[in-house]
Amino acid sequence: MPRNNRVTSARWLDAGRQGRAATHPPQAAPLVAPVPPIVPAPPESQPGIDAAQLWLALHLPALLLEAVAKVGDPPLAVIDTDRGVQRVVAMTAAARTQGIQRGLGVSAALALLADLVLRPRDLRREQQLLIQVATAALDFSPRVSLEPPDGVLLEIKGSLQLFGGLAALSHALQQRCAAEGATARIGVAPNPLAALAGARTARSFSVTSEAQLVARLAPLPLLALRWPDVTLDRLGSMGVRTLGELLRLPRAGFAKRFGRSQLVMLDRLVGKLSEPRQIFRPKERFRGRCEPSFEISDHGTILRYLQPLLAQLERFLRQRQCALTALHCRFWHRRADAVPARFTPLRLALAAPEWSAERFAALLGAHLERLVLPAPVIRCELRSGELLPFALSSSSLWQLGEHGGAQGPEAPALIERLRARLGSAAVYGLCLVPEHRPEHAWSVREPATTLATTADAARAVTPPVDGYLRRPLWLLQQAQPLPDASRLQLLEGPERIESGWWDGRDIARDYYLARDRHGTELWVYRQRLAPHAWFLHGVFG
Amino acid sequence: MPASSDTALHELLQHPAIWRGRSTARGATLSTGFPRLDEALPGGGWPRTGCIELLTPRWGVGELRLLMPTLAQLSQLVPARWLAWIAPPFEPYAPALLEQGVAIERQLVVRASKPLWAMEQALGSGACAAALAWLPSERSRGLARRLRRLQLAAERGQGLGFLFCEHASARESSPAALRLWVEPIEQGVRLRLLKSRGGLRSPFELRWTDATQ
Repeated sequence: MPRNNRVTSARWLDAGRQGRAATHPPQAAPLVAPVPPIVPAPPESQPGIDAAQLWLALHLPALLLEAVAKVGDPPLAVIDTDRGVQRVVAMTAAARTQGIQRGLGVSAALALLADLVLRPRDLRREQQLLIQVATAALDFSPRVSLEPPDGVLLEIKGSLQLFGGLAALSHALQQRCAAEGATARIGVAPNPLAALAGARTARSFSVTSEAQLVARLAPLPLLALRWPDVTLDRLGSMGVRTLGELLRLPRAGFAKRFGRSQLVMLDRLVGKLSEPRQIFRPKERFRGRCEPSFEISDHGTILRYLQPLLAQLERFLRQRQCALTALHCRFWHRRADAVPARFTPLRLALAAPEWSAERFAALLGAHLERLVLPAPVIRCELRSGELLPFALSSSSLWQLGEHGGAQGPEAPALIERLRARLGSAAVYGLCLVPEHRPEHAWSVREPATTLATTADAARAVTPPVDGYLRRPLWLLQQAQPLPDASRLQLLEGPERIESGWWDGRDIARDYYLARDRHGTELWVYRQRLAPHAWFLHGVFG
Repeated sequence: MPASSDTALHELLQHPAIWRGRSTARGATLSTGFPRLDEALPGGGWPRTGCIELLTPRWGVGELRLLMPTLAQLSQLVPARWLAWIAPPFEPYAPALLEQGVAIERQLVVRASKPLWAMEQALGSGACAAALAWLPSERSRGLARRLRRLQLAAERGQGLGFLFCEHASARESSPAALRLWVEPIEQGVRLRLLKSRGGLRSPFELRWTDATQ
């Protein structure tokens, strides 16, 4: 690359300023590291955040390692096949001190350290762990985004107040990640890419103001961007080693040499372009497993190993405001001829939706006691059944039915549940219509979710007039013709109902109370007009 | 026997741990509105929670009329809860219900192809004081197992379940707390308690006019 391509002026930022001038009033460009503010920085509880968004990146530097093993004492290395050759891709600190390095061949590594434990890379488990971390991050912010293979992003502007400031939030997050079995490095910046770059390469990277961003990014190495090796090599040969140097390159020339997409990425890095992120939605089934380091045959121990899984399950359910009515467990056995099944299943069916780990544990304990295990257990798996929406509510002082506990949210919930399965027309309430025509004297209506405690309507029964027959409890949807009405025994009647001339559906009928040969009481009518046909309209029930 | 020892014995027999033939069901009960029926039932009325099976030759032989005083009573209770009608064979007729003193606005009709499922939901939710379900005979297969679930749901939701089945299903065993065989007679029904914890065994007749208002 010709020497004269090297640019030392701050053209990058000049161009940036021009771009910005269109929308914003001119600002002091952060050409150099900003002058320390005259006013001392406010305390942590009220951080001086002027950015519209604040992104926190979790970078999991030891993901490869943590996916395959608990970080323990024996020196361990993760190997991966690279162009047909197995090479070390990650190692524990203990192994590193013994001279094991990334890229070392397997035989070379074993020659250096004979008792080195080698594990193949487990991509699926890595992904799982990442999702686990992202799921845990949902406790801190609803806007979580994945950055595979080893990053998770959170938008935390709205969460700072709740968690008591950035430092407290970062600390809590790191603790949660550790609980999930992942070491996390944290970077905070007004845009996702800068936060990621910071988390990847800096020890503690926390920028809460747009104005400081470029200056803080400048010393970071190019590696932070995860660009292809070819690009990095070319930039390296140009003498560009840090982000600061990169940002000083002229825009047009950079775009020509490295492509527009890289330019867009740089614009996103300094916050000139916003970066749309896909929000992480956790999957709607819980699945967890634990592998104890030894074989268990004791039910109490199994339950103890299941406890952390159940705690995870509870968190999972709480985040979604859901509950379960079914929980599946599998207890895996070592493959042996004497044991026909690889695992023993256990299905927990609950009568009411449940979410509490404590209650699951109690139920599981009771079920486990009865479970016969053909062999010791080497692995426990837990899978949730269908998730049911479950509104957590404060429980009333009185239990339902005790001292007349008020009708809570069960009523609408019941309607929703029934309608979800049966369709909304299948669930309805009744109401009266002041009408003489029997089929129009009632109507379907929306079920009342707030019920009057005193039913005044029931009191207002109209006194029966002469010739008024009592009404049947059942009404047929459509009156049925009665071909053999002569076999009916007429008990009471007639009651003449003649009405409805105003809407064209007028009726002229003589109603009778009749009994059929089985002893069922029927409500029948005879049309007044020819052909004087008989119809069945109701059953007294 | 002197009177004092008689009362002492009587007090002793009131102890809940003592089991004596007819006097077993000492849970809370709800009057049926028919003195004859109250007398025949253990504890003097319907149980407050649980499932009751009514076996009829066909729909509409008086099985619903039999429940009207009960439903009227339940629909006046505070707090207000629904009465669910699950898969009724015809439309419940609001004017007639009103005549019987049943509060119309507390009725909930559910048209379900799986009545037992809907009934379990209704009873278990706690939002229904009672649920009535109609079960054609082809649906009553394997009822025993489902009924146990219903029983539990009814206890959880503090509700009363009435299940209407056809006579044919009397052959199958049932975990219901109470099973009644219903037959029509003129102006009333003939009842027989197929299963009850200490109720009357022999059939007896009820007249509609007997109902206490």
